[in-house]
Amino acid sequence: MDQIDPTTAAALQNLSPKDKQELNTFVQGESQKAQIQHTIHELNSMCFKKCVTSRISTGSLDRSEEPCMKNCVDRYMDANMTVIRHLEKMRTLG
Amino acid sequence: MDAKTSVMQQIRQQAALANARQLVEKVNDHCFERCVPKPGASLSSGEETCYTHCMEKYMAAWNTTSRQYLGHVQKGAAGQVGLQ
Repeated sequence: MDQIDPTTAAALQNLSPKDKQELNTFVQGESQKAQIQHTIHELNSMCFKKCVTSRISTGSLDRSEEPCMKNCVDRYMDANMTVIRHLEKMRTLG
Repeated sequence: MDAKTSVMQQIRQQAALANARQLVEKVNDHCFERCVPKPGASLSSGEETCYTHCMEKYMAAWNTTSRQYLGHVQKGAAGQVGLQ
């Protein structure tokens, strides 16, 4: 990440409370978006590897690849929930 | 331009750049693996055709994954846990 130059940094110090608040909300939103996008990249990479296995001869997803990609995302989410539920159980059982 | 707007713009640009970089990296990882199993002296026309298809397919897959995943996130599930 690039550093913010000193002039901008000084100007940021002098922002009104309202602007500071607005900037804060903006940064939080962007950071959440970046995190979601990162997850999509990782998921897509994983699922592409599992679902696109035959010779690549067209630029679109074929009849079996498309549902496979969707299932892949859905099952990943199920698996994720299973892990969370298991950890939760371990936590309550001590 | 005021400091707030300028910082917001920088953040947007960097986010877009990071996203594009991730996509290029992933596309090349997958498509190089699939389309260039035995690298020769140059990319053959067959390899280039494969690359074009592979890129388009990867991006089509990205859109499908994105739609499907966002569906889960919007349903409120613990969608953002994992894959950090």
